[in-house]
Amino acid sequence: MEDRIAWERDFQLALSRARREKKPVLLFFHNPN
Amino acid sequence: MDAVTYPNPAVIEFIQTHMVPLQVAYDAQPLATEFNVKWTPTLVTLDPEGKEHHRTVGFLSPEELIPSLMLGMAKWHFDLERFAEAISALEELLAKYPRSDSAPEAIYIRGVSRYKSTHDAKPLKEAYERLQQEYPTSEWTERASPYRLL
Repeated sequence: MEDRIAWERDFQLALSRARREKKPVLLFFHNPN
Repeated sequence: MDAVTYPNPAVIEFIQTHMVPLQVAYDAQPLATEFNVKWTPTLVTLDPEGKEHHRTVGFLSPEELIPSLMLGMAKWHFDLERFAEAISALEELLAKYPRSDSAPEAIYIRGVSRYKSTHDAKPLKEAYERLQQEYPTSEWTERASPYRLL
């Protein structure tokens, strides 16, 4: 649950920065293993 | 991807200049479910409201990744009917990466963008003719083929 909140928070922060800087977000899903 | 393309200096410079990157694990919830991620690497270009405009799945070399990201940015402008910005981004892609796999789609979308901003059908026919000449086997040449009759 804490991880879900953290990822959602990071995502919202990225969107907020994108609005501020007028840039698109690049969401990069990777396999850390 | 992580070990080869992403640390590439040109890729890093492009992303840092033009985009807001967010790297997440393939199973990071709720994002993985919301964006229907089934394989990695998956790169999704979103507008600042979180709406998807472009995605690529699987490894791309730096020479293919950068034009793919440029195409995604152009599609963001196109989807929002900002055709001048879309055309500008597509022309930069075609000038810098004319032989990339993204080039045929860029020619197609540029033709449509020009048509939508001028209501002149000539750019559609020009797009088809260039695709036919330079990329005769591309799916985008096939998609543009009705415009040969214009």
